[in-house]
Amino acid sequence: MRLPVNSGWLLVLPFLLLVGGLFLGPILNVLWISVTDPTPGVQNYAQLGSSDTLRRILWTTFRVCVICTAFSVILGYSIAYAMVHATGPAQSRMLGLLLVSFWISVLVRTFSWLMLLGRNGVVNSTLDALGIISAPIPFMRNELGVLIGMVHYMVPYAVLPIFAAMQSIDGRVVQASRSLGATGAQTFWRVYLPLTKPGVVAASLVVFIINLGFYVIPAVLGGGKVLMVAEYISVQVLITLQWGTAAMLAAILLFGVLALMFVMSRFMKLSTVFGGART
Amino acid sequence: MHDKNFMRETLLQGAQAFQAGKLQRRSFLALCGMAGFASASVLAGRAEAAAGEIVMWNWGGQSEECHQSAIGAAFTKDTGVPLKFDTSGPLQGKIKEMVDSGNVTADVCDADLFDAVALGKTGHLEALDYSVIDKTKTIDGYALEFGISIILYGYAFMYDTQAYPDGPPTSWADFFDTAKFPGTRSLYKWANGSLEAALMADGVAADQLYPLDIDRALKRITAIKADTIYWGSGSEAHDMIVNGEVSMGMVWQNRGRSIETETNGRYKLVMNQALAMPGAYIVPKGNPGGADVMKFIATAQSVPAQLDLFACLGMTPTNPEAIAQMAEADQPYSITSAANMPNIALNDPTWWGENTDAAVNAFLAAIS
Amino acid sequence: MTNTSGSLHLKSLSKRYGAFTAVDTIDLHIQKGEFLTLLGPSGSGKTTLLMMMAGFQDITSGDILLDGASIAHTPAEKRNFGMVFQGYALFPHMTVQDNIAYPLSVRHRPKAEIDARVAEMLDLVRLTGFAKRMPKELSGGQQQRVALARALCFAPPVLLLDEPLGALDKKLRIEVQAQLKDIHRTVGTTFIYVTHDQEEALSMSDRIVIMQNGRIEQVGTPSDLYQHPKTTFAASFLGKSNFLHRDGAVFALRPEKIDLDPEGKGKGANKVTGTVQSVTYFGAVLKYQVEVPGLDLIEVDVDAWRGGQALPAGARVDLTWVDSAAVRLSDQSL
Ligand SMILES: Nc1ncnc2c1ncn2[C@@H]1O[C@H](COP(=O)(O)OP(=O)(O)OP(=O)(O)O)[C@@H](O)[C@H]1O
Ligand SMILES: [Mg+2]
Repeated sequence: MRLPVNSGWLLVLPFLLLVGGLFLGPILNVLWISVTDPTPGVQNYAQLGSSDTLRRILWTTFRVCVICTAFSVILGYSIAYAMVHATGPAQSRMLGLLLVSFWISVLVRTFSWLMLLGRNGVVNSTLDALGIISAPIPFMRNELGVLIGMVHYMVPYAVLPIFAAMQSIDGRVVQASRSLGATGAQTFWRVYLPLTKPGVVAASLVVFIINLGFYVIPAVLGGGKVLMVAEYISVQVLITLQWGTAAMLAAILLFGVLALMFVMSRFMKLSTVFGGART
Repeated sequence: MHDKNFMRETLLQGAQAFQAGKLQRRSFLALCGMAGFASASVLAGRAEAAAGEIVMWNWGGQSEECHQSAIGAAFTKDTGVPLKFDTSGPLQGKIKEMVDSGNVTADVCDADLFDAVALGKTGHLEALDYSVIDKTKTIDGYALEFGISIILYGYAFMYDTQAYPDGPPTSWADFFDTAKFPGTRSLYKWANGSLEAALMADGVAADQLYPLDIDRALKRITAIKADTIYWGSGSEAHDMIVNGEVSMGMVWQNRGRSIETETNGRYKLVMNQALAMPGAYIVPKGNPGGADVMKFIATAQSVPAQLDLFACLGMTPTNPEAIAQMAEADQPYSITSAANMPNIALNDPTWWGENTDAAVNAFLAAIS
Repeated sequence: MTNTSGSLHLKSLSKRYGAFTAVDTIDLHIQKGEFLTLLGPSGSGKTTLLMMMAGFQDITSGDILLDGASIAHTPAEKRNFGMVFQGYALFPHMTVQDNIAYPLSVRHRPKAEIDARVAEMLDLVRLTGFAKRMPKELSGGQQQRVALARALCFAPPVLLLDEPLGALDKKLRIEVQAQLKDIHRTVGTTFIYVTHDQEEALSMSDRIVIMQNGRIEQVGTPSDLYQHPKTTFAASFLGKSNFLHRDGAVFALRPEKIDLDPEGKGKGANKVTGTVQSVTYFGAVLKYQVEVPGLDLIEVDVDAWRGGQALPAGARVDLTWVDSAAVRLSDQSL
């Protein structure tokens, strides 16, 4: 007799149910709250149309995340490139430094930035002492500060997928390009970058999605004026008790991320069809 | 609301700083290390409640020790019921969630009096038993059906004496006047206190503040927005001042003393027009410890407990008898002392309990 | 397309890694249009030498001249040498068309010219119709030919090939060898070809350079090297040899140059007698191992069709050869 399904699935079924329950349960709950609190209906979603504030917060979040993702990925790309081309011991030292930076808490980072780039921070006081500036440069407590803090936090996350993609490139492909007469720049744009594209896409996704949830860095380094969705949601849950609004925003984030992943997965699939990173 | 953050900060760091106004300025790394340690202890701190004990839900750190020694010891001695702690921080949203989930594990929350109004209205709190608790042992108007103020804290501002050598600012009107007093300001970013300060600056009398005219307040606030940065926690407010980021900064008043000490008097606290905030004890609906919690609250009202809390945490007592017994040197830093009382405003928990959502969201919309 | 250039001159070329010398004072003239093979065991420095010519390895000392002009410090992309890598190194994200067009498109040639040239190349390597495929949709031999087409597309004066057939199975390899040779004849480019397969070297090359330990052991045409090896190494690396020690000298004697007859029947200037140890049938030849007192095991190849019935192990045999069959080597006898 044959089972209608592969019996292996039966073995993992309990775990699937458990994971599904633990994972989907809260998500469904959030969706439910977003259409029932305070009263059933779509009024929470309708706020998106009526509230300038919500739209502004979403736009700020999106803008900051996109800029931060771009800078993180560019910096991460450069660092990964340096790491891939470093010799063995230097490479492991760089990787070590990178991993250590994962352990530095957000609080330490934000305070460090304030010490370094704050109004009376090391940089401003040095420039002032040298007579280069007459008034402190406002690096912190604004959107620039938020970006600096977030990019600094996210760069290691960007490095790892790009580093992996770069490591999987066959060095001979690059040599081949040069032997065929391509300049360094041509080789980079036409061969190296396309081959690392899966790493870049993965890094962008990771960085962007983590960015969406940023809370402490924007709150502190933004001086209160850069209000992002995560902080706003937390205020609505914990302080103003507008759970419906909070759930609606959470749902918007969730759907936004899912849509992004969907688009990216199409994009990635196309790229694998066209050769992908592996040779 | 958050003067949740206030609690946490005060309890974790401010209290120590207050107690030891003598503390050297710590390097930021040490501060951060402490913050890390504190958050670890906050995470670690949840006690499972059971009948026969009282679980206090607060912000942990110094406050756990202080409550145990100032109130817990006497309470356990009288009743034989031990005091335990859940240090995860009783934000309104968390209390609501706990009660809604039906799994109530705390008996008393170290919260704000406006929480009592907001959560009492929605049925998330137990009514207090005023046959056990004494309504007269607090400030007039701060003994409500669902909560009673045990201590006070408040909003005041500090200024840089070097920025304004000839004619220091003395009122919120000066604070909001960036033409006469140039420089960066800091305000609390979740509306509370900031709105009242703006209205007083705009000429509203301290006893005529409520109901708050939010639009009028926000006009004042947005007028100096370009020169204002906003803080969300006591330590942030503290750092903005001691790092010289602002020339005038709003603070939780009980931190003023340690900042004055830390900056060697460069920054000075202005208590004129300070806004007193009633910190309160509230009881989640269906608390596991039952009626014993009322005895606990009564114990907290006693003069020794009140004075101990002031010594330990720097929170002003609410029991008039305790205020009267405070040392001379402590009087200026006690927001409701006889000298300060005529010049301060008193927070209206009922207005905030009913309007927090509107006020906070309007404020956030204005500053972001 | 034909080239007017393509002669290379390597002058005392060396490559050292610290104390280790990978390529040791190589002197070599390579004629325009020549098919030159670098043959040697693993680690003998073939790839290193090729990479120095390509411009991917720095030169420790010496010089490389292309048509008389030094290119020792010309970067790889300016040398205009085609290169076919071991493993092909096709661009995995480009179609066959784009791979082949690459050297022209990076030179910003007009599209019409590129298309025409790519079509010509596809025809040359017999891959017309595969232009739109991705590299991973091709067989190993097809990928190999794309790599070749790509490297030849811009009509380089010199084509460097590093074990281009290493990944192919034997049958396919022989097929592609023939095509490669054909293409070489057609395009007239100088081919410098690295292999450690001696048959490949013999069948394809105009000249072979036998390398060992970074040095040139011997250079010559295939038959020259086969008939007149100068060293034990050359004699044993290219084909098989028996070594005879006579009068303080070493002689190499190819197995097929020995006549084998039953004892007493052998006639010739040089004759020894021994016992058959083993005999193995290889279709075209019978390979005998014969134990001769005072000598090592002697290997003898006999045409199978001529030899009739194989002599069994244990049989006594005479081995004879003409004088010219034994080549005196430069090595000293032990
Ligand atoms: N970067 C390097 N550092 C030190 N030694 C090296 C380096 N690259 C190559 N070598 C050494 O140089 C010698 C020649 O290497 P090469 O790759 O040229 O050999 P090859 O003849 O191509 O061998 P194969 O047939 O195995 O490909 C080898 O002994 C190798 O170990
Ligand atoms: Mg090699």
